[in-house]
Amino acid sequence: MFKNYLKTAWRNLWKGKVFNAMNVVGLSVAVACCILLFLTVYYEFSYDRFHTNLSNLYQVYAVSHRPNGDEPSTSMPVPLTPALKAEYQDVKFASRSANSGAIVRYGDKELDKDIHYVDEDFLKMYSFPLVQGNANTALSGINNVVISENAAESLFGKQNPINKTIQINLDNKPTSFLVTGIAKTAPDNSSIQFDILMRFEHYETYQRDLDHWDNATHLVYVQMKEGFDPSTFTKRLQPFVKKHFAQNIDLLKRDGAKPDAEGNIYSLKLTNFANNHFNVNMGGVEGSPISKIYVISLAAIGLFILVIACINFINLSVARAFTRAREVGVRKTLGAGKWQLLVQFWMETVMVCFAATVLGTLLAAVAMPQFKAIFKSQVSMGMLLQPTQLIGALLLFIIITVIAGFYPALIMMRYKTVSVLKGAVLNNKPGKLRNTLLVVQFSLSTLLIICTIVTWQQIQFLQNKPLGFNKTEVLSIPTGHNEIGLNVLSLMRNKLSDNPDVVSVTGAYMNFGRGTDGSMRTSIQGFNYKDTEVRTHIERVDYEYLKTLDIKLLEGRDFSRAYAGDTTAVVINEAMATQLGGKNLVGTYLPMYDNGEKTQIIGIVKNYNFRSLHEDIAPLTLTMNKEYSINYIYVKVKPGSLIQAYDRIKQSWHALLPNTEFQGSWLNENTERQYRAEKRLSGIFVSGAVIAIIISCIGLLAISIMIVMQRNKEIGIRKVLGASVPRIVMMLSSDFVKLVLLAAVIAFPIAWWLMHNWLQSFAYRVVLHWWVFAAAALLAMLVAFVTISFQSIKAAVSNPIKSLRSE
Amino acid sequence: MLSLKQISKYYQNGGSKVYVLNRIDLDVDKGEFISIMGPSGSGKSTLLNIIGMLDEPNEGYHYFVGEPVHQLKEKQRSALYKQNIGFVFQAYHLIDELTVYENIETPLIYQNVKGSERKALVADVLDRFNIVGKKDLFPSQLSGGQQQLVGIARALIAKPKLLLADEPTGNLNSKQGEEIMDLFRKLNQEDGVTIIQVTHSEKNAQYGSRIIELLDGAIASSTNV
Repeated sequence: MFKNYLKTAWRNLWKGKVFNAMNVVGLSVAVACCILLFLTVYYEFSYDRFHTNLSNLYQVYAVSHRPNGDEPSTSMPVPLTPALKAEYQDVKFASRSANSGAIVRYGDKELDKDIHYVDEDFLKMYSFPLVQGNANTALSGINNVVISENAAESLFGKQNPINKTIQINLDNKPTSFLVTGIAKTAPDNSSIQFDILMRFEHYETYQRDLDHWDNATHLVYVQMKEGFDPSTFTKRLQPFVKKHFAQNIDLLKRDGAKPDAEGNIYSLKLTNFANNHFNVNMGGVEGSPISKIYVISLAAIGLFILVIACINFINLSVARAFTRAREVGVRKTLGAGKWQLLVQFWMETVMVCFAATVLGTLLAAVAMPQFKAIFKSQVSMGMLLQPTQLIGALLLFIIITVIAGFYPALIMMRYKTVSVLKGAVLNNKPGKLRNTLLVVQFSLSTLLIICTIVTWQQIQFLQNKPLGFNKTEVLSIPTGHNEIGLNVLSLMRNKLSDNPDVVSVTGAYMNFGRGTDGSMRTSIQGFNYKDTEVRTHIERVDYEYLKTLDIKLLEGRDFSRAYAGDTTAVVINEAMATQLGGKNLVGTYLPMYDNGEKTQIIGIVKNYNFRSLHEDIAPLTLTMNKEYSINYIYVKVKPGSLIQAYDRIKQSWHALLPNTEFQGSWLNENTERQYRAEKRLSGIFVSGAVIAIIISCIGLLAISIMIVMQRNKEIGIRKVLGASVPRIVMMLSSDFVKLVLLAAVIAFPIAWWLMHNWLQSFAYRVVLHWWVFAAAALLAMLVAFVTISFQSIKAAVSNPIKSLRSE
Repeated sequence: MLSLKQISKYYQNGGSKVYVLNRIDLDVDKGEFISIMGPSGSGKSTLLNIIGMLDEPNEGYHYFVGEPVHQLKEKQRSALYKQNIGFVFQAYHLIDELTVYENIETPLIYQNVKGSERKALVADVLDRFNIVGKKDLFPSQLSGGQQQLVGIARALIAKPKLLLADEPTGNLNSKQGEEIMDLFRKLNQEDGVTIIQVTHSEKNAQYGSRIIELLDGAIASSTNV
């Protein structure tokens, strides 16, 4: 019986080649999309899951209830961790955490490695198993280090690194460390990545801040004891906060901070480390968190495409069912039972689904490298072979075949045997269900089209918005870890002074956007000014900063070598001036430092977007304070010879600093790099929209074929009665176009809501124009109309005698 | 073997009932060969479909091989039908996707007959109907007469006690029609299969042992040939 089913299924599928090919194509594309998208989603959710203590790991963060809203911060002062551990019994382990890079030497090898500063408890909290060494004691000595397998290999080759001494450059002084452990290299889906684990006592500001509760410099993680209740902990932490952060609280109070529901102005809280990978709004966490919205968008688009393809499947199967009504009737007269027929039709569905799955998997494998490159996804086809994924895929497969296979089969079961055998035309009213499904399909498609247009607009806007500085002709070069920035700057200044392409050279603490070194720096300082707290971003600059970057000076002057006092002076931006209030600020003094030294404002510059367009322009103070290092060299070149100038500057760099990599990049590249996430999202929307529309149209095409088949006689009669071809085309198309229009209208509010919320994350954003919606609806209708026209025109121009005779 | 009592079939048309069959009484004995005749719309096919359990009457009692069909559940009725009734259609209604062999085999599959037994039965029938050479062809490759031959072979494969034929020669030319009717007579007389056929043709009706004339949903006459 099974063989017979298989045989008939195959012959039936072959007979409906065109329909089934459409089905398979649509479904396999959807399967491929789903594999790629769902694997990516799974991967993102798999972050940090390998830590066995995950449920007890927390990050400490503080919330300041400022007048203009709550401000979370994850930066903690140095003395907090020991105090917390001493005063609260629930804290089992605690570790401070900070990252930096340093040059590591062993023998004649000299490599740039990532240092992760931690406390002794680190290896007990997190699951980074040691290949060699004892996790309980590896970090007990202050000059012990644990290195990752990767780092060990690159540094020691085949030698055993245990108990070897390595030199690490800290603060430009080489220091000796003893290797006491080799840790398994962290998996890609770990937020914490390191080459070398080093005791936190070596962190650059450790000694200075040892007793300072007001200098927050690093992150703090704790492991709580089993059975710890996080809900009441914030309350229990209040005495601790009041004791140690009294000064902070006073300052906040004076600035008009509003107490929260529990009457606290400043509170410490814990956030579960399990959620670390999605903690984007916290300000600072381990690794590079990504927005959950992004991941959910991926899942949603995958789901949309799957739903659209399944709807196709159902509609196409129902369409085919009409042509097979007679067969069902005959089989019933031959004694077929309901279940036997259902199984037969289900078998056909399974075969189509199976073909689509195989094809879709192949397609996914082929598209994988491209997909990974575009969407920065770390997935691999091998991930499919894990039990969870296999079971998930199998379940999905069964669900789809049951829904898509049984429903059409059930419809066929309902046919009256007698009338089917008599050859009565199956003139059922166009199914409500079919129309509903079509509307769902096109709603999703229209939604994706709108999202595509809006995200594209916003990205264009971000790229084209003038930022207030010259981003096309300025090159930004990171100075690297093993050089002193100021030295590099003076070397480069001298070297490039006779280069005809170079206009000017300067240096700074922060980069614009994201450079090729991938680092981001932020420095915010607060001080008292006329009895209110003033907070400002600090940017350490050097001479000719304004000139190099074409930043417009509104009042006063730039830093100048002619005035010796300028090294302690500041230039502020408009936002800072507004915050300070009052007029004629140039020449006045600011009490910026604790030691009472005052610093003079020598100039005010026009606001420029020194951070991404997600944020409004904040108060900014430019200073030449030597406490901040120079990390980036900026070189402005003459327009017209950018590529040539780049090569020459690179040559000069290598001549001066043969051991340091040249990582220069143009500022516009850097600023665009900040919007990678948005570009990725937009890319996903575009591909999603295109695929959704194509699959929907395949379905629509199939349905139009069916409709024309059903209404063949009617069309013939109308033609005999004198209907023109355009009239018939309109008659056949208008029903569908109406449905697509309805779908678009349904999609509008959802799309508006989604895009409105997405745009809220940008301080600078495009306006949602009505025409975007109109255009999307029009596009969907046009595509639908063209699709249907293929069939309707064919039917309309065919000779009516044929269709009438066939009855 | 078959007994219809007061069988009625009607459609609700507005407030009034339109009767297709009106209180039909009919008894058929084993081994009879009955021809049902009558003008278009007299209810011939409906009567045949009711006898064949493809359609249900609105009123009346229907007994078949001693079973009260009107009281049976769907499942029991289906079993009764499968084992006892074969159907032959005017339009043959072969399944286009199946070969001659597979078409004939299908009823056995639905009766869960074992594979080896099926083979023997189908081979036997193919032989008897002289269509062994055609067994791997598809219906579209056969002439109308040959298709109907396959249709009859398929109807008989499960050895039914009652063969129902709805204008079996309606789509055939006269020579092919004669062959089919000869076959029917042979089946009736030599194999003892009870046959009820619906026909328009006076000549074909003469092959049977009794002619029932229907008019406006009622039996107008019943004549033994």
